[in-house]
Amino acid sequence: MSPAFDPLRYRADFPLLSRRVHDKPLIYFDNANTAQKPRAVIAAVEEYYRDYNANVARAVHSLGEQATAAYEGTRDKLAAFLNAGGRDQIVFTSGTTQAINLVAYSFALPRLQPGDEILVTQMEHHANIVPWQLVAGRSGATVRAAPIDDDGVLSLDRFEALLSSRVKLAAVAHVSNVIGTANPVAAIAKLCRARGIPLLVDGSQACPHQRVDLQAIGCDFYAMTGHKLFGPTGTGALWARREHLQAMPPFFGGGEMIRTVSFDGTVFADPPHKFEAGTPNIAGFIGLGAAIDYVQGVGLDRIQAYETELLAYATAALDSVPGLRLFGRAPHKAAVLSFLIEGVHAHDLATLVDHEGVALRSGHHCAHPLMQRFGVPATARASLAFYNTRDEVDAFIIALDKVRRLLA
Amino acid sequence: MTALYRDIVLAHHRSPRRYGELAQPSHASEGVNALCGDSLHIELCVDAQGRIREYAFRGECCAIATATASMLGEAVQGLSAAEVAPLQQAFAALIAGQQPVLALGELAALAELARYPARRKCALLPWATLAAALGGQAQTTTEKDTA
Repeated sequence: MSPAFDPLRYRADFPLLSRRVHDKPLIYFDNANTAQKPRAVIAAVEEYYRDYNANVARAVHSLGEQATAAYEGTRDKLAAFLNAGGRDQIVFTSGTTQAINLVAYSFALPRLQPGDEILVTQMEHHANIVPWQLVAGRSGATVRAAPIDDDGVLSLDRFEALLSSRVKLAAVAHVSNVIGTANPVAAIAKLCRARGIPLLVDGSQACPHQRVDLQAIGCDFYAMTGHKLFGPTGTGALWARREHLQAMPPFFGGGEMIRTVSFDGTVFADPPHKFEAGTPNIAGFIGLGAAIDYVQGVGLDRIQAYETELLAYATAALDSVPGLRLFGRAPHKAAVLSFLIEGVHAHDLATLVDHEGVALRSGHHCAHPLMQRFGVPATARASLAFYNTRDEVDAFIIALDKVRRLLA
Repeated sequence: MTALYRDIVLAHHRSPRRYGELAQPSHASEGVNALCGDSLHIELCVDAQGRIREYAFRGECCAIATATASMLGEAVQGLSAAEVAPLQQAFAALIAGQQPVLALGELAALAELARYPARRKCALLPWATLAAALGGQAQTTTEKDTA
């Protein structure tokens, strides 16, 4: 039996978590927006700039070799972290958005014909809607959304019913950024593969909270971001099946993605470098490597078990607040709680709890269609991480009570 | 909890004045901040001399926008469009942390917005909607940022 999970032990690794806001201890409940960074990540970025700042993949001097080894080391770490198959299947991007756009323009657009469909769900982030709309607009295809129920659960039957022969690609969130629903992506991948429909999974919100095993999921593309995984902003990756990466043309051209260049024709590098033109965010990816080491050290299974328990505690606490409506009650969900309190606008709520030290997000969370599904213009959202505690949830509930008394 | 939500602001939020609609408005406009989820409808009766005789608003807004819209009705009573404009500028200056050149009455209670740049658009929405109504514009917004 593993020892009990002690969030306080890990909190000490995150310097920012000890700061105060409006003279109150910070309660950081905006982890789905971006996560805080452990000391190891900050130190790795600083060490690179201080001790071995150099460009990657082209310098033969010592600094360049050291930088390249650290930067490419993150690719190995990420490949292992995701059970990716091969390191060559990991394309570094600036984040999930760039990863999805790469698939939209390089994979989908050349294949789309008028009348074709791209199937998404009602719970998608704009990053998994708008790129498809853009390529649909260029090709005459349309984007359709599979419905979710009042608890925020995707109906597999209705999803399957929409997988007609017109669907040329499906794109689904692994975990919803607004309501936390964890979708059964392996089952979805099975449905898609049976019909020869490529599936992209948006893993932004899943990677920080649960073990991701790409071999078990069986999708075609998986997009992730580093900054929600306790790493630096401007880092992320696209994982794809080898045959897709071979077939896809490069999207950005430039240095670091070629083998030879002449005016008679250019020979591109092999994947993944074919898709990585220009000098990358070297410090960021070195930091991401440190973040992956850190998270592996804590253990994804332990993180998920602890967060599941914390989610149950927070859900019960929110349900005790009079007039509070919680959006999303999927049986399988991450610790993301979207809610509204009757008579209180989400922005007033966020401003007021900030004065109690609580950092929340308010608004539409880059998911207008989901807001429309629930018939609300905006929600407040508390999104938790493994460094959050029950004491913080208790303090948050007291803050909500103050807000309710003031405004409702 | 904060000086922004002072008693007078909360009083206007809880019991907004001139909330509702007019029987025969001569001017009307809709203010919508889609990102925030604020929407506001302002109706006016403007007389032959171009002066605001009646003002009414309704909508679903945060406390800051609601309180501003409620105070605004009082502040612009009997004013012409030419007189509203400098008042609007004075209010914008106030919530940007500057000294307003005109007296703003109860609206001065919102001066604390100088410390909340992200919330200024909430208080500016009723002003923009009023200006749109006077200018014959059907809809306006104070959201110029991106989502």
